[in-house]
This record gives sequence, C-alpha cells and structure tokens, in this order.
Amino acid sequence: MPRVLFSRPMHDVTLGYLHYYSKELVKLSKDLNHSTVNKEYTEANRKVIEKVISKFKPDLIMLNGHGSPEVVCGHNNEIIVSSRDNPKLLKDAITYSFSCSSALVLGEKAVENGAICFIGYEFDFALGKDPDSESTPSKDKIAKLFMEPSNLLFKNILEGCPIKYAVEKAKEMMNKNVWYLNTTNAFPEAIHYAPYLYGNYLGLVAKGNDNASVK
Amino acid sequence: MSKERDEEIKEIEKQIIIERLRQAPANMKISFGMSDGKFLDRDELIHQVVEDTIIGQKIVKVQMAYLKALKNNLVVEG
Repeated sequence: MPRVLFSRPMHDVTLGYLHYYSKELVKLSKDLNHSTVNKEYTEANRKVIEKVISKFKPDLIMLNGHGSPEVVCGHNNEIIVSSRDNPKLLKDAITYSFSCSSALVLGEKAVENGAICFIGYEFDFALGKDPDSESTPSKDKIAKLFMEPSNLLFKNILEGCPIKYAVEKAKEMMNKNVWYLNTTNAFPEAIHYAPYLYGNYLGLVAKGNDNASVK
Repeated sequence: MSKERDEEIKEIEKQIIIERLRQAPANMKISFGMSDGKFLDRDELIHQVVEDTIIGQKIVKVQMAYLKALKNNLVVEG
C-alpha cells in the first residue's frame, strides 16, 4: 500500500487556493486506500513534516507552499526543505513541490541525495484570480484554469501512472487552457491571463527518474 | 552582441510589455511566489515592470516567452 504525505499550509490567499484544490487529492488518496497523512494549517511545519517523513517513510509527498530555487516552505513560510540543510529529507520518495521555482536547485539537490523524482517548477508558479470571485476558490473560473492541470498531475501519480505520463498530461491541459484563454469570448479579460499560465507550462519539470510510479 | 545593445533590447521589451499590460482590465489579479501570497492588480503589475523588480523581470520574461510562442505557432488548440 503506497504511503502518501500532504503538507498544506493555508496562511494567505494564494495558499488558500492551493489548500482548497488539494482537498480532493487527499480524498482521492484515501479513496484509493493509500496510507495517507494530511498535515495542514499550523501542522504544515518543519518539525512535524520531518517527524512524519522519518517515521511514516512516504513513497509520495505533496508539498504546497511558497518557495524559491533552494527551498519549499510551510506554515508562516517556515522552511521545510532546503537544498543546503536537509535535501536528504526527500530520499527514496517521489515529491511534487507545488511551489515557486524549487525544481531549479532543490530539485537537483534532492535527486543527488537519493530522491526518486522531484516534480516542480523552474519559474515562479503564477496563479490568476477572477476579481469577481471574492477570493472564493470554488467560484473562481480563472484560478480553475491554473489549478486543474496541477490536480490532474497529482491524480495521475496517485493512480499509479508513470511521472513522465502525468507531467505530459498536465502540460497538455495547460496548453489547452492557454488556448482557451487566448481565444474565448466568454470573458474579456481572459486573454491577459494566458501568458502567465504559459509560464507555468514552460516551468513544470520532473527531475530524476520520471519513469517511476507509485505502486 | 554588445552590452549597450542588450540594454536597448531589454528596454524595448519592457516598453512592449508595459503597453500590453495597459490593455488589461484594471481589476485583473495575478499572484507570484515572490508576491508573498498577495494578488497583484494591473497597475501593480505595471509598477513592478517599470521599477524593474524581480517580479517585474519575471513578468517581462514570461510575456516575451508567450509572444515568441505565439509567433512560432507553439500555442495551439489542444
């Protein structure tokens, strides 16, 4: 039975969107009978996540949070994994870092230190928001176009698809959504969001063994 | 290419992107990692580009990549 760990901070509006969208991934993981640990809100901190990883030894990790080329953060932007301090934390696991640009340095370092695969972004992940949604993720038709490819990526991994396939499918959806934003007349501002989603498309990468899957 | 020419191109790209951003609705909202979880509206995006901040540079980079992709027919119907 695969072991899956989620780290889901929610201390600002952007992370609120990531938290909302990843809720269905936690549910899917449980529905698939994967052994699932969900650390959210204040529990998405370094001490807790390090402890869970050392005892639970997850095969698959999803880290939501702010990031930089060298780090991924948790609650209140506390650094959870850093290329300098603890890249070994992700050893023997597949990690999806849903954060900005952490694939650039941390991704490389994690793989050098035994991670099976590190999926993440080489640029800042951009998120568009519908100004009429009142920051309610469920009502936000723009954010949906940015968030759904990420969810598709992780759903496919949870269901046992090879990472390469999951990344490919996520990129296909991003490309489709960019095309939609570029051509739709449904809302006039759509076209102005397209470049940022295209940036996410360009930035999504998998470092390490992308033929790996969760069994 | 000379440093002066690089600077000139960089400045032209900035001006192109500022003009593009001015066409967007004032209430559009984008969040980047470096925006500390805050969503930036059109005028804030323009400000970042004008001031040549890290976010501004990111905006120019992404917008230029997108324009090049459009020119090269890389944005296609899925």
